[in-house]
Amino acid sequence: MSSAMQFYVSTLLVYAGVYIIAAWGLNLQFGLTGILSFAYILFQSIGAYLAAVFSLGPPASRADVETYAFGANLPFPLPILVAAAGGALLAAVLGPIVLRRLRSDLQAITMLVMSLIATDVISSDQSLLNGATGLSLVPAPLSTVLGLSSLQYQWFFVGMVAVICAIVYFVMNRITSSPLGRALRTVRESERSAAAIGKNVFALRMRAFIVGGAIAAVSGALLVLFIGSWAPGSWLYIETFVLFAAVIIGGSGNNLGVAIGALVVPVGSVEAVQYLPSFGPPGMIDALQWVVIGLLLLLFIWFRPTGLLPERRRYFPVSDLRNGRQAASEADR
Amino acid sequence: MDLFMAGLGFGLIAASIMALAAVGFTLQLGVADIFNFSFGAVMTASALAGYEANAAGLNVWLCLPVGAAFGAALSVCLNRAILTPFMHRGAGLFGMVIVTLGLAIVIQNLILAIWGPVYFTYQVDNSSTVRWAGMILTTSQIALAACSAAIMVVLHLLLTKTKLGKAMRATAANADLARTSGIRTSRVNDTVWALSGALCGLGGVAFVINTVSFQAATGTDYLILVVAAAVLGGAGQPYGAMIGALIVGVASEVSATVISPDYKDVVALVILIGVLLVRPRGLMASVDLVQAGGEETIA
Repeated sequence: MSSAMQFYVSTLLVYAGVYIIAAWGLNLQFGLTGILSFAYILFQSIGAYLAAVFSLGPPASRADVETYAFGANLPFPLPILVAAAGGALLAAVLGPIVLRRLRSDLQAITMLVMSLIATDVISSDQSLLNGATGLSLVPAPLSTVLGLSSLQYQWFFVGMVAVICAIVYFVMNRITSSPLGRALRTVRESERSAAAIGKNVFALRMRAFIVGGAIAAVSGALLVLFIGSWAPGSWLYIETFVLFAAVIIGGSGNNLGVAIGALVVPVGSVEAVQYLPSFGPPGMIDALQWVVIGLLLLLFIWFRPTGLLPERRRYFPVSDLRNGRQAASEADR
Repeated sequence: MDLFMAGLGFGLIAASIMALAAVGFTLQLGVADIFNFSFGAVMTASALAGYEANAAGLNVWLCLPVGAAFGAALSVCLNRAILTPFMHRGAGLFGMVIVTLGLAIVIQNLILAIWGPVYFTYQVDNSSTVRWAGMILTTSQIALAACSAAIMVVLHLLLTKTKLGKAMRATAANADLARTSGIRTSRVNDTVWALSGALCGLGGVAFVINTVSFQAATGTDYLILVVAAAVLGGAGQPYGAMIGALIVGVASEVSATVISPDYKDVVALVILIGVLLVRPRGLMASVDLVQAGGEETIA
């Protein structure tokens, strides 16, 4: 492979990993638990901002380039962990406000509006996170320590994203196949039934919301450490729509399906297209790719609402249930 | 004080324009029971129809009926061809949000792909400025407000004095009961989409006559303010939507002049969030929007 090709492939791979992680977080919130998380991109964004300011160093050290309210120079894995904690915290704060018993379309709109408010406020306030210009020149983690060529570093980053992908997949898989996952699915299918068998619906939703928020924040942290900049334009509400499209097209509730969905929608139709030769007037390809995503989503909801890889149906034979919990959880597996 | 009065003047104009769209939106929410996210994109498309008519030499005021007709036709088509079929196929409330959002993105980007990322500008005649009690308004703004007020009166008469209006209100309050009482709800539905689409088109063209120029995303951006007005007034409540438009319009314009134009939209959004969280029924709602969730199918 030529080195230009290697740059292209490794960049796509990093994007793929980031989007797959983000789609898994949304799958936990929406696919598994049924939370209409229309502010999902906020979690990715807070992760990205936190990872950025905790890699950039104290605000005073960069006063000539950009302004932000706080920051530090933490060693490598810490910015990502701080980001994850920030995402979880944001979910813990937003959850009690939004996870109320509103009609579901209005619940979605409430979160969407929160996302819009956040964009407006962050864009307008120059001192908090450098306003509409956003943060830039975020140092790449470990790049000075490792002393790799830029191409080698690309592949190092691919490896790092792959490892984190594997960890998140492990966590997701544990959740979906555990009794907790079964309880979350019950909440999704029928809140009343879940409450009737003694499940604390709000606590279950909060758990999914918080873990999903942390996962989203990790994806944002990885993205900002790779591309080095983050601005309100990177997290418009439309990005939430893209991830919803990925989850629904891939197969809501199915981890592998959702990963495929992330490869088809954001990576396949948004990122990969950027490198194609352009045709037509400027901006036409961008517009057309949105048309394609919109139509693809409508077609899937019409013809195959369960997605490419549907969530596996789970059967619990009555005889097993009589034999107690042990047998039931085995049937689940 | 001068600043406040000037803001109040702009706010009243903004409110009268917003009322057109908000009443249209609330009719769809109430009668058709759809949170129609593509409403903003239809506004843009209608404004574009008005722009093409204007560019072909039509007087800008005659573009209002052109936009209304286009909005009505497009809304009825979208409802018949896409929204109702999806509803019948079992897309739940949230499923419809996703469907209409997808539709909005498709329409908006088709406009972008065909016409390109340009600002469309209406040829508006130079109008003189009127100063009254600290408000500074142009004659065309006053004409817009007068048009809007006249349409509101007609709408009021339609809803209260005609059989059709009664049927619409009955369908909004309880579709099943209306059907059992012998109201042809499907026909009422078509009428509602035509009427709300016309209001949507009018709102789109009126908004652009006031701001003079627009681009592909204008309608969708504006939609959030319209939603704030409609939800504040109570879903499905035309009069509520008018009051909601008044509050949202005046609050955002006054805050734009008094605080900072940057936070103009934020004020409207905060009002919307507050209403959703504190009183989701809105000021005047009779339609029950609060229900135990979890029993819906997703998409």
